[in-house]
Amino acid sequence: MTFPIKGILTLITLSAALSGAAAATSYPLTITDDLGRKVTLKAEPKRIISVLPSTSETVCALGLCDRLVGVDDYSDYPQQVTKLPKVGGLYNPNIEAMVALKPDVVIVSQYGKLAEPLTQAGITVIAVNPETYDEVFSKTLLLGKILNREAQAKTLVGKIKGDIARVEILTKNAVRQPTAYFEIDPTPYSIGPNSFMGVLLTKAGARNIIPASMGDFPKVDPEFIVKANPQLILGVDAKTAGARPGWSGISALKTGKVKDIPSELNTMLGRPGPRLGQALMGLAKLIHPELFK
Amino acid sequence: MQAAAPRPGLGVGLGTLLLAALLLAAVVLGTGLGSVTIPPGEVLGALWRGVTRQALEGNDVIVWQIRLPRVVMGALVGASLSVCGGAFQGVFRNPLADPYLLGVASGSALGATVAIVAGWPRALIPVSALLAALAAVACTLWLAREGRRFPPTRLILAGVVVGSVLSAATTALILRGEDRARQVLAYTLGDLGFSGWRDVLTVLPYAALGCGALLLLARALDTLQLGELTARSLGVPVERLRLIAVIAASLATAGAVAYVGVIGFVGLIVPHMIRLAFGPGHRTLLPLSALLGGALMVGADLLARTTPLSQVGIVTTLLGGPFFLWLLRKERHD
Repeated sequence: MTFPIKGILTLITLSAALSGAAAATSYPLTITDDLGRKVTLKAEPKRIISVLPSTSETVCALGLCDRLVGVDDYSDYPQQVTKLPKVGGLYNPNIEAMVALKPDVVIVSQYGKLAEPLTQAGITVIAVNPETYDEVFSKTLLLGKILNREAQAKTLVGKIKGDIARVEILTKNAVRQPTAYFEIDPTPYSIGPNSFMGVLLTKAGARNIIPASMGDFPKVDPEFIVKANPQLILGVDAKTAGARPGWSGISALKTGKVKDIPSELNTMLGRPGPRLGQALMGLAKLIHPELFK
Repeated sequence: MQAAAPRPGLGVGLGTLLLAALLLAAVVLGTGLGSVTIPPGEVLGALWRGVTRQALEGNDVIVWQIRLPRVVMGALVGASLSVCGGAFQGVFRNPLADPYLLGVASGSALGATVAIVAGWPRALIPVSALLAALAAVACTLWLAREGRRFPPTRLILAGVVVGSVLSAATTALILRGEDRARQVLAYTLGDLGFSGWRDVLTVLPYAALGCGALLLLARALDTLQLGELTARSLGVPVERLRLIAVIAASLATAGAVAYVGVIGFVGLIVPHMIRLAFGPGHRTLLPLSALLGGALMVGADLLARTTPLSQVGIVTTLLGGPFFLWLLRKERHD
């Protein structure tokens, strides 16, 4: 027999986690975070700061909302976190406020350069930053491990996947899968099929006009969109779209299939967190209202 | 560095012809190439169908409603910025003067940022940018004023200070509205993205009025190069000339900047290139700058559309910066 390689190890770890046999996390726990640093947690964190809205949601979904002592300016779900002290945003983090809250751990994104000053202040910092669709699940499990809620994380992942599967069953049977352009920013930026939002768009029963080769969140040349002539345009209101040069001839505009994303759904769609299933449901209802009558 | 004596160089007639051909070539290339390649025959067909008001078919929409207005807008903005640059350099007798000198760019950037962060409709962004740009220039003029005079050094200093203060305000706003930061950034990097015929028609009066006035002032600007005292003794009302030129150039610049954002270096560099090739006389400098500036801008936008550089302001700055340094070194060696 050959020695088990890394992949097999991962499989074993994963299946152990999935079998529900996961015991409590044992501390000290050392993990490699998204900045590639080895971080050791001495004990189960009781005072947590999250500086990513999706992480705040995940921490709460793991049943640890009451352990959050501070969140970034943009965390607003669930309701409970809106009452917590705010510690700034990506570009203007309030490091002093974070230190003053005496956290056991600050969970940061890989952007924003918070790790170094906080570490120097003697605070444990872990970068956990889900970006792809699959990472939503792997990072949720990772957070579960870090926070000693592995079983809950496993259940949560199962629930999100279940939510997604229910929508997918419906949309797979949709007779028409419209070609779609999804605008996330009016400059204009769109989403590639491999981004987590792109995966959701496909699962919601639409065919993305953006090819994978253009990247995950590409700036799009407007004439490309006109040439692709999508049957559905999401993320712009009809008036704005109609006023753009050359757009009035696009199929989606002719048939009135231009839909702005309601702001709450937009927030959910932008967060690779526990509400992914709900976000997909909202998106699917926009694309295929006929399936949800 | 600007000798008043005519320099040996290309003949102006030939030069005009060459530059006009360059602009035409840029327009033709710019209309044919992009994320979708359209053969010249099809471009011509589309233009013909558009002019003769036939139904547009196939790629016609792209040519006629998206690319051509974008190209024309590029040419218009490039020409405006270059003419204003040439005029500013003449008015202040300062080779580093450019259309953004008096706080025009930072003013319009602030105006646009306010509109974007506040979530106003897209149509209001240029309006807000334009008003703020004109307010910024008015502020600079007011600060620089000494009785009825506007001494160049004071004007430039006031412009720099007004610009810095407005930029700081813009940055503060961007930080407050993080989720719209990218849109603001796109604006401050210059973008021709959604330029349509309506935008072209809106910018046109500013460009025509501003640049037209500057062209009429060309002879007076030439006289000013002999020195303020000489110009005065020759009967040039120096202060009034300066004020009118500044207002005209600010108007044209603000109109352009309001619609396409901040586009660096074109207005600084193009007049230098023309001066090198054709000499410093403003009666040739200004119109030829318009031709070259238009061509360069269309070319830069073509690069922006077809490469990952993605925004025309990035291209002009990336190409313009090094070129300008080269120009500085070359002049020192000369």
